[in-house]
Amino acid sequence: MKVSRAWLTKFFDAPLPDAEVLADALTFHAFEIDGIEKVGSPRPGDDASDDVLDVKVTPNRGHDCLSHRGIAKELSAILKLPLAHDPFSANAPLDTEAPALTVTLEDASLSPRYIAAYIKGVKVAPSPAWLKRNLEALGQRSINNVVDATNFVMFNTGQPLHAFDAGKLAQTDGTYHIVVREALPNEKLLALDNKEYALNNSMLVIADGTANVAIGIAGIKGGTPAGITDATTDIIVESANFNSVSVRKTAQALKLRTDASSRFEQGLSPELAAYGMRNMMEFVAHLLGGEVAGFTDVYPAPQERTRVAVSVEKINQILGTRLTGAEVADVFQRLHFAYKEEGGLFDVEVPLERLDITIAEDLVEEVGRIVGYDKVPAEPLPPMPSAPAVNLNFYTAEHVRKQLTDMGYSEVLTSVFADRGEVAVLNKVDSVKPYLRSNLVDGLNDALKKNIPNKDLLGLKEIKLFEIGSIWKGGKEEVSAGIVTEKEKAQEEPLSMHAPKEMPAQYEDLPLSTASRYQTFSKYPYIVRDIAAWAPSGTEPVEVLNFIQQEAGDLCVKISLFDQFQKGEKTSLAFRLIFQSFERTLTEAEVNQIMEKVSASLKEKGFEIR
Amino acid sequence: MADAPQGHIHPISSLIREANRIFAKMGFTFAEGPLLETEWYNFDALNVPKDHPARDMQDTFFIKDAPGQVLRTHTSPVQVRYMEEQMKKGVMPPYRIIVPGRAFRNEATDMTHEAEFFQIEGLAVGPDVTLAHLKGTLEQFFKELFKGAVEVRFRPSFFPFVEPGVEVDMRLTGADAPEKLRGKWIEVMGAGMVHPNVLKSAGVDPSKYRGFAFGMGLDRLAMLRWGIDDIRLMHSADLRFINQF
Repeated sequence: MKVSRAWLTKFFDAPLPDAEVLADALTFHAFEIDGIEKVGSPRPGDDASDDVLDVKVTPNRGHDCLSHRGIAKELSAILKLPLAHDPFSANAPLDTEAPALTVTLEDASLSPRYIAAYIKGVKVAPSPAWLKRNLEALGQRSINNVVDATNFVMFNTGQPLHAFDAGKLAQTDGTYHIVVREALPNEKLLALDNKEYALNNSMLVIADGTANVAIGIAGIKGGTPAGITDATTDIIVESANFNSVSVRKTAQALKLRTDASSRFEQGLSPELAAYGMRNMMEFVAHLLGGEVAGFTDVYPAPQERTRVAVSVEKINQILGTRLTGAEVADVFQRLHFAYKEEGGLFDVEVPLERLDITIAEDLVEEVGRIVGYDKVPAEPLPPMPSAPAVNLNFYTAEHVRKQLTDMGYSEVLTSVFADRGEVAVLNKVDSVKPYLRSNLVDGLNDALKKNIPNKDLLGLKEIKLFEIGSIWKGGKEEVSAGIVTEKEKAQEEPLSMHAPKEMPAQYEDLPLSTASRYQTFSKYPYIVRDIAAWAPSGTEPVEVLNFIQQEAGDLCVKISLFDQFQKGEKTSLAFRLIFQSFERTLTEAEVNQIMEKVSASLKEKGFEIR
Repeated sequence: MADAPQGHIHPISSLIREANRIFAKMGFTFAEGPLLETEWYNFDALNVPKDHPARDMQDTFFIKDAPGQVLRTHTSPVQVRYMEEQMKKGVMPPYRIIVPGRAFRNEATDMTHEAEFFQIEGLAVGPDVTLAHLKGTLEQFFKELFKGAVEVRFRPSFFPFVEPGVEVDMRLTGADAPEKLRGKWIEVMGAGMVHPNVLKSAGVDPSKYRGFAFGMGLDRLAMLRWGIDDIRLMHSADLRFINQF
């Protein structure tokens, strides 16, 4: 989530540290930061400049941290800065019944709470600069003061709001009637994104109860039938709570994920609806120029308080720390968790928006992250009572690896995805090779073909490959071992056929790779040249090899002695040179030129080129 | 030619061989499980409920005409499979396993992402396992693997199957560490204390036992270890790559 530092400062009386300090605080105590972006004018003293942090809010904290208030609350606990202006501590009453507005929830399990405010006499206008700036810092487009105010509240508190144009709704006896119900069969809605959505009865809609038409997809998107326009004067603001699974399924089915739906699908506390509405009310008079005619709050089963207990002993047993009761108490105070403590047992009253805290371990995490995981020491595990058991399949695979590498085979890993097979993958993104392989030999044959052209470069006489891997065949998954060479057809058999007859007591002591660093290879083709010469007597082949390398230069990437024989006093030496560039495809002509130079130099040294 | 040149094992195989050796000294047994998994072991048993946003963290390959079957998105299902098997045999904790193996994510591939990759899972369960033991175990592993001084640090994170959950960074500090890596914090894995629901799924009493678990990308580890620049080389079957190891 994008979080504006300037926005965060509004929650505190104390000055807030720099964005980098905030990023570090969050990184080591709450969430990863994907980046910090400077927005607005960078001129000194210009309050339009801002830092926007991209905070990776984890899925367990979507309940409370997809908002500036949530992040401010975290920073308050981490940095020990009092949260001076908390919208969740506001408690202006929301109990004025709106005389001209009723709300009906058809299924309270899908919409546990619905607060509607009826606001008259608003003047729809462009938003003031501060509001535009706040939203634009987050990459949001400013629309008008009404829509922007609802969006501001969502990014501020985490509670999505929606505003309907009351003038477009029908009335019964002078009363507006909002119904939250399942969509009707074949019901359609032209949403505010100007797309028409085909709905069905698994989806929840907000409807104008009098006209019985959908005006919004619950928790996801508003509809054009009640959209705000420049002509709007009376509005109904919704601050509601919707079932997370229902919103998630509907958003998935409609392929319509919005800032609202991504919050509702995390599961929000219905208490948030009231905080969101109160926050909205602060804007009615001065920003919207309207007047609140009343509220309706339908909340049949108010959220119950959760209490979770954890002992200092348990915290230390899990974290491996030696924290004191006072240190634990300090954490809970910084997080504003109300608690009772008795003999080291903390009985915590979980804040209503913290739906993630349900078991003692959740509180252990709160303590661990707020004190900081750098307080966790590194300790070795105690010895196990017995030696680890040998895994027969791994033993066998390792044994086969040893046998085959000794015979000159190299190990490849090829994809388990194939063009054909018994098991098909349902949803492959690239839809190529949509099956799970039923053999290793197809992959081995492909690998062989691919490697043959590089034989000289590899300095090999023959390509020999093996693979040990899973295949899906005959209705089951099994591990197969396969080989292929240029001379022998690819073949494979179940790895288990190579298992030792008796359970081995321990693994074989096999060598590890001795490579230190991997060297990138050139993607360009290479050119091979052979040169054979009669060497003057007493010549060491390795000296000749070094001499040729020096004469051939850097483009000669590999050189090997591939033949050597004696005739009388004379020795014939034959070398194979491989030329390749990292930057381009070499031409025959330039390689020929290098070879001529090599020949000439050898002749000069008394060699007779054959 | 009388003697064929020695063949090469894949760098991932070498890494698994080495990891197994290091962890065996700390009491960990090599364990394994199927690649084609049930949703139960891959998700539900690991405290990832249906219709929960946490399932979105992992793009999953599903199987045609086989509802409830997935290509495992991590090696973690083996945690539950192993514990369950031990409990059935009447073998009570302590348990310590490592699970090196393939896992799958349905996503576009590039130089650092592959749809098929290798992971190594670690699990230690006992009456008194702590997060401090996790730090100690990982420090020891990296120290032996990178043959030099290593620091490990934790940052808060979230994985449904652990609580608390942490992201693990490591830093090579030894003078002989590769220059590109020396002194730099590198994110290497997700880990944490096994969630009580996971122990319950496997039939282990969470009031008596606790554990830590970690899951690290072996491809990434190989890339760090040997300075490999493209993850796609792992499945390239290209001997210009493999024969360097």
